Amino acid sequence: MRVLLVDDEPLARQRLHDLLQGMSDINVVGEAADGRAACELAAELQPDVVLLDISMPVMDGLEAARHLAGLAHPPAIVFCTAFDEHALAAFEAGAIDYLLKPVRSERLAEALGRARRFTRERAAEVAAHLPPAKRRSHLCARLRGSVRLIPIEDIYYLQAEEKYVVVHHARGEDLIEESLKSLETEFAERFLRIHRNCLVAKDELQELRRSPDGHTRARLRHVATPLEVSRRCLPGLRQKVREL
Amino acid sequence: MRRSEPDAPWLPDFCRLPVLFSTLVAAEVAVLVIALAPSAEHGWDGRQVAAASLFALWLALCNAVLLCKLRGPLCRLPQPLSALLAWALPVLATALGSLLVHELDVALQAGLSLPAELRGRFIVQNAAIAALLGAVLLRYFHVQEQWTLQERAHARAEVDALQARIRPHFLFNSMNTIASLVRRDPATAERVVEDLSDLFRAALGHGSGGTLAEELQLARRYLDIEALRFGARLKIDWQLAADLPDDLEMPRLLLQPLVENAIVHGVSRLPDGGAIELHAHADARAVTLRVRNPCPPQPAAGGNRLALSNIRQRLAYHYGDRAQMTAGYADGYYSVQLRIPR
Repeated sequence: MRVLLVDDEPLARQRLHDLLQGMSDINVVGEAADGRAACELAAELQPDVVLLDISMPVMDGLEAARHLAGLAHPPAIVFCTAFDEHALAAFEAGAIDYLLKPVRSERLAEALGRARRFTRERAAEVAAHLPPAKRRSHLCARLRGSVRLIPIEDIYYLQAEEKYVVVHHARGEDLIEESLKSLETEFAERFLRIHRNCLVAKDELQELRRSPDGHTRARLRHVATPLEVSRRCLPGLRQKVREL
Repeated sequence: MRRSEPDAPWLPDFCRLPVLFSTLVAAEVAVLVIALAPSAEHGWDGRQVAAASLFALWLALCNAVLLCKLRGPLCRLPQPLSALLAWALPVLATALGSLLVHELDVALQAGLSLPAELRGRFIVQNAAIAALLGAVLLRYFHVQEQWTLQERAHARAEVDALQARIRPHFLFNSMNTIASLVRRDPATAERVVEDLSDLFRAALGHGSGGTLAEELQLARRYLDIEALRFGARLKIDWQLAADLPDDLEMPRLLLQPLVENAIVHGVSRLPDGGAIELHAHADARAVTLRVRNPCPPQPAAGGNRLALSNIRQRLAYHYGDRAQMTAGYADGYYSVQLRIPR
């Protein structure tokens, strides 16, 4: 079984490494120190199991678990954490087991046994039944064989195109399979709707300018081309811009 | 420092202004009650009320001074006896005072007290009033004292409950560190066990305070353990003045929770970590301790404020308003400063 270790503490990873060393049929394929790195590595390495710490910088384990559940080959997730205040949240995030540090060898073997019985179908089922996430810190764009995690604060604007949403952010553009509506609800305090197909980051909004042809366009700080503001959104938008 | 509470003397200190004031008010009230009592004969006129007030206040003052001076010896006696004396002595003093005043009044022929032949009645009635008033006042002070003691015990219990607790995460993470080290680096594992023991001894220790040097030592032990966990992500910048009063007494675990916050809400949330700045210096009146750490822009909610309000309350309990705590976020850094009076 291919295992990915995720913990921000080198010694904690070391300890899991040591424990796994003694077990047959276990192959540690990689290590990551935060949730984002874990997701990116998991998409690339396609491990069967991810041993995932919860409290980590950049992206915590709970959010990483949600992104992992959405991968093409979702791994079985086993949380390892020092204190069990997250137990419920862990199972809500689709974990198959939950280990407390310092992890006992027998307990780890048991969790891996469970992971072995965890099938792809079961994983898809889990992913489908995840309760709606509370506000995520990243959006996850799936590319062929890898994922890109885009920090919410790097996003300039979101534009719906057919069945995708194009995320325009500091490092380029990515496609995600989510609806603009659900993104608007989840990140209500971050984005403003300026058009049926467009949400812009509040911080990015520089000015609303009326052009000679009667259309109003929004200029963003980091985007060269102004974006069209629909007539329907204009009054509400003016109101919100004044409140900013 | 934590004020110790030996068996507080049951008799209040009559030299304290509030007690003295209550005594004088009680005396004056008694005079007014007598003056206002409906009577078939002609009542007191203004002059008599003034004279009686003066007399009563003088007696009250004398008795207060008497009890104030005798407080020490009285409180060393068994309580029933001392209670009896604390009540009887002022009665006696009142009788003596009455005798004196009566003599003066008769000699001066001022006519402010009773005629010469009613001397006995003047003295006995004044003594009786003193006996009644004294009993009521002593009872009142006693009840009030008990109530204050109870309040104080209550506050003390609250402070004990506030006694800084180390986060349970820290215990289990440290145990995990030890588990990882035990085989690969037994010497370091041993040191972690020792440091952890010191920290928990302090955290579980009840009541007794520590010194500035011990406080800094505990912070150092804590940081030594965390340094193992975070590796290169955690750096410490110690800025300790050379002239710190090492044996300055202070409540235990004031500093460690601040350092813990700096890690939990600061360094541990940054992928590349950062340096915690620990600064201490002393002037003639106070020691200033400051913990400054880099942290992510959104201020951490909940836990942080809890730890700070805990420290704030403990400072208020131990030092009143002589100690200060200020905290704030600016330019990617969070900083907390404590000023502990010397």
